[in-house]
Amino acid sequence: MPTYYKWVSAPKPKRRHDYPSLEVTNHPLKSELLNLKFSTNQSLLQSLKKWSLPFEELDPLLRFEQMDLDNETGPSDITGDVINYPKAWNSRRIAILNKYTTGEKLTIISSFLPGGEKISTFSALLRQVSNLNDKVKHRLEQLDDFDESSIRKTMGLSQQEFVTKIHMLDEEIKKAWDTEQRVKAFKIAIQCSKLLSDISVMQFYPSKFVLISNVLDNFGMLVFDRLKKKSFGDKDIKLEDIDSNLVPEAAKETCQNWLFKMASIRELLPRLYMEMSLLKCYLFTSREELKPAIARLTKMIRGIGNPLVAVYVRLYLCNTAAKLFGRDSENFFYDNLMEFFDDYPQIFHPAMIKKYGAQLLTSDQYLSLYVPAVDWLLYGTLNATPCKLTLLEEFLEKCQNKDNSELLLCCFVSAFDSPSVIKKSSIIMDIIYKAADEMVLLSQVLNSLGEHMCQAEPYRHPSSESLSQTWWKVASNMRSTNNFLQALEPWMQFACIQLSSQHINMLLRGTIRYMIKCGSPADEYSVQIQAVVNRLLKHVPDVEELFLMDAFMPLVELVQTSNARTAMAKTVLSVFFERFTSVQIEDHIIISSLMRLCCILHDSINAVTVEDESKLVAELINKFILAVSYQDDLEQQLNFYVDCRAAFIKLDSVLVTLIHCVSALWSRAGASCGRGAARACGAYVFVTSPSLQCPLTRASLTLQAAQLSLLNCCQGQAEANLKSFVSLIPEIPQYIQEDAQKKPTHDRVLGLISNFLSTLLILPDNMESNSKAYILSGFIKIMERIHWKKTDALYYTSLLRTMDLLCEMTRDTYAYHIEGVMSNDELYGCDREFIDVLEKHATNICQELLVVLKALGDAKENKKQCNLALDLFWRIIRRGDVSDGSMASLAMNLWSLSKKHQDSNNKYAKSLLISLEQDPTPGCQRLYEKIKDM
Amino acid sequence: MSANLTINLKRASKVYYEGETVAGVVVVDTNADLRHEGLSLTMEGCVNLQLNTKSAGIFDAFSNTIKPITLINTTIELAAAGKIPVGVTEIPFEMPLVSRQNSIAPALLETYHGVFVNVIYTLKCGMRRSFLNKQLNTSCQFFVQHRHQERPVSKPVRCEITPATVRGGAPAGGSRHMPHFQLYAEIDSTVCALDRPITGKVRVDECSVAIKSVELQLVRVETCGHAEGFSRDATEVQNIQVVCGDPRRACDVPLYAVLPRLFSCPTTATHAFKIEFELNIAVIFEDDFLVTENFPILLVRSK
Repeated sequence: MPTYYKWVSAPKPKRRHDYPSLEVTNHPLKSELLNLKFSTNQSLLQSLKKWSLPFEELDPLLRFEQMDLDNETGPSDITGDVINYPKAWNSRRIAILNKYTTGEKLTIISSFLPGGEKISTFSALLRQVSNLNDKVKHRLEQLDDFDESSIRKTMGLSQQEFVTKIHMLDEEIKKAWDTEQRVKAFKIAIQCSKLLSDISVMQFYPSKFVLISNVLDNFGMLVFDRLKKKSFGDKDIKLEDIDSNLVPEAAKETCQNWLFKMASIRELLPRLYMEMSLLKCYLFTSREELKPAIARLTKMIRGIGNPLVAVYVRLYLCNTAAKLFGRDSENFFYDNLMEFFDDYPQIFHPAMIKKYGAQLLTSDQYLSLYVPAVDWLLYGTLNATPCKLTLLEEFLEKCQNKDNSELLLCCFVSAFDSPSVIKKSSIIMDIIYKAADEMVLLSQVLNSLGEHMCQAEPYRHPSSESLSQTWWKVASNMRSTNNFLQALEPWMQFACIQLSSQHINMLLRGTIRYMIKCGSPADEYSVQIQAVVNRLLKHVPDVEELFLMDAFMPLVELVQTSNARTAMAKTVLSVFFERFTSVQIEDHIIISSLMRLCCILHDSINAVTVEDESKLVAELINKFILAVSYQDDLEQQLNFYVDCRAAFIKLDSVLVTLIHCVSALWSRAGASCGRGAARACGAYVFVTSPSLQCPLTRASLTLQAAQLSLLNCCQGQAEANLKSFVSLIPEIPQYIQEDAQKKPTHDRVLGLISNFLSTLLILPDNMESNSKAYILSGFIKIMERIHWKKTDALYYTSLLRTMDLLCEMTRDTYAYHIEGVMSNDELYGCDREFIDVLEKHATNICQELLVVLKALGDAKENKKQCNLALDLFWRIIRRGDVSDGSMASLAMNLWSLSKKHQDSNNKYAKSLLISLEQDPTPGCQRLYEKIKDM
Repeated sequence: MSANLTINLKRASKVYYEGETVAGVVVVDTNADLRHEGLSLTMEGCVNLQLNTKSAGIFDAFSNTIKPITLINTTIELAAAGKIPVGVTEIPFEMPLVSRQNSIAPALLETYHGVFVNVIYTLKCGMRRSFLNKQLNTSCQFFVQHRHQERPVSKPVRCEITPATVRGGAPAGGSRHMPHFQLYAEIDSTVCALDRPITGKVRVDECSVAIKSVELQLVRVETCGHAEGFSRDATEVQNIQVVCGDPRRACDVPLYAVLPRLFSCPTTATHAFKIEFELNIAVIFEDDFLVTENFPILLVRSK
């Protein structure tokens, strides 16, 4: 193989190449402006959702939780035909546990837990009453009179420790049960239920109830399961199928024994709880006794003096009844609710007030302890009522007749359905208005009333204005800012849905006034204010109109600390762009408001901001920049972009957007107005892109700028841009960090270089410098300087492409031109000197490619080597002059090299051969003959 | 070599009525052949009386048990002397439950576990063995109940409890100032069926101090006759709380108490002893001041 082959380009074709063309009205690459808005393209989104449905698997943890719930619901699944009470209760249970927590120290009295101190006065009362006899003690009497020395009081438990202890007791019951110590299990259960009479840490009481009721349920299940097994063996039998006539005598006897044991418990509260947990067992003796027993228990609960304890016993009773009877139990809910109404004044008994006062509870905290229980009673009652409206009327009347009816009102408003509440809204508002001064749950009531009102049909509510006014009168007098904002949230939405924008503005102004008047800085309430603003933005009919209200921006800027301001700005912007439906923003007021918010966002970014955060911010700002339009006023538009660059200098992605925007402007400007604007745009791009971090982005933007300058006939600028592009190539790293992943830049660099080379074809040489194809030579030099691996596809593909360009540049008419730009073909007109320069470059590159081929051979990259050989062969027969001796022998050598490794029917090689065969030039024919013989 | 004797009654509840037949099996479980001199079963029923040391006379105090009164004592031979093979052998038996004609009471008494009076029925099984081996014994209690009578006519009783009605008997209350209160209590019947709960209601109409607890106490009154007369003692059977904490005023709180098995029986009077029952409604005020109201009741076996 000769070591040196001189490249000779093919003789220039005489005829101009005619490409097939057809007339079009639209640019084929023009991007369609798609308005993917939520409101307009609902159907698309829905169908998307449909497709993605199979992928939407549950979070594994959530799935476990749901499995858990499914397991727990048990047999009454079927009895509650529509409403599954156990399931409904389970969801509330978790909410209660999360809501009612305490930091206070708790106490457990039990004889089954290690540690703690002995109590000696435990049965003092018992002794006093039964002082008739101290000699003999009977088994029955001992039931709740545990071995006195073993009773221990564990004090100073934290909430978590308390929960663990309760779970321990639960385990202890199971353990005792499994080891045939059934009486012990019974005793532990009694002790657990006794814990519920202790209201020393009231705010934990609802959670305590949930925990202990769970233990009691488990105990009841143990007894029930054993009786079931005794009666029916392992047969799976449903609750409603248990027939007491089929129960064998032995099982009946055991059941009777449990009931007798339970009935002899001395204290009222444990006896009630134990009877409820064993209620199911009545099924084994006689089903008819069940309902009278529930009715009796309903009455017996009257004996519990403490209203808080009593209402939770009622809750437990209703729960057990619901588990047994499903929807049949709803009348028990009603009965118990009525009993609670009768008991209602007890809640405000001076003794209770003293108790919660001593525990430093505020009265709203105290009242909210009743809410879960009353809610649950109401829930069952409402499910049973066919006409909710009449029931609500009846209940509201009760509210009007009772003192301190706010707890009832609060529960009613939240429990009833929206249509009924909306119909009665004026009456409810009246009640609130009259009692507003004393109400402690005011904000809750207003909040839930507001939420109901939001469900009303837009602009259809008859008295919405007066309602809103009354609401404002009540709310503006609220003392706690927190409560005020809490109540404001739904009512703001109500105003958005029902009232005019003037009203909304008035509300906003009122809010600002309130916030200023309240004395404490608004920053403390930033989260709430944010929630209000969020609601406002989401529900206001025309989101742009908001910015035109004079009170909106001041409200948004009420918060002053930078964190709060940033969060607020982010909320406003993201909701705004979610709801913003038109394509462009033209109003100056809106633009400047948004600009201000964007600046706040941008200023929040600093060195320690996490990447995701700045990405989000950049996305919002980009949306803003893309939406702003000054229509035909290009100068103002450019000024806007200049302002933006000044304002958002920290975010690269924003700068990129800006450059793209200006580029678009530039291409628009080129056509219509003078060179001044176009130059300004060019300068903008040229100045801005170097400040970007990522060399790859910088390179592509520089290239784009060069192309745009060429389009606008600014050769000088184009040359400058291309020069800086060439100097950028070595800076591009092999990998860049993107979305927290290392990504190779190979393909993109190759694309950029190809793009660059095709731009070079039309770039005319600078006449003032005397070097020919100046930029191209620079590029080739740079390529030599970069230490790319020889065997790298990027390297030799770039070389091949350069070769293509060099050959193309020797033609007398180039394949494409830009109107108004005189390319080299016209400049030199195939000047021999110019072509010599090009061919010298081509020779060098060809030489380099041969080196690469050898290197590939050394690296045993046979496939690559073969392909490269074929590629080069192709270029020789297409672009080279094969009549030239050295070129022909090079081609021959390449062909034989490629033959060495390829399999016989390589499609590429075959098609090359066919095209060679069809070439009529004598050089090609000769070559074809030789190759064919090989 | 070990052997076990067990008596299994046919009836799970172990409750029998007079005139019925007590049926069951004696189970002999042995891991080797067992030679014996005879297997016998005895049905025994007796009343044990005990005297309260405080109220009994000086002589009785030395031995404060009176000789038990036998109600029934019959023995049958289950198996003649012979050999019982290895494994589980069940020997069925039937014995009529009939009272001894010369007994103190016209009929059998109900099983009753009290403090000074106990009425107990047992089946005892004994296996006599050759004199080198110990005799094997086992026993099993069973319960006797009267047949259910017709439900008695209910005799309701009502009462008001006010400071005026309280007989000056409150032990510590004499010196203390009595709070002002007005309570109402009602018991649905003073003739109570043993197999039905005692029901009634209690209501606090007025009360100047907070109430801590209202309780319903069942008390037995046992009278034993002996050489120097008789002793009469009242002891608590069970105590059921009906109100816990200060209840709402003018609100009927139901009374509901299930009579305990074994520890209660129909009101009984014989020439040697008497078993009677009373109810107490006790109201305990916040300051532990105690007010009680007593209702004697008659218990009958009825549903």
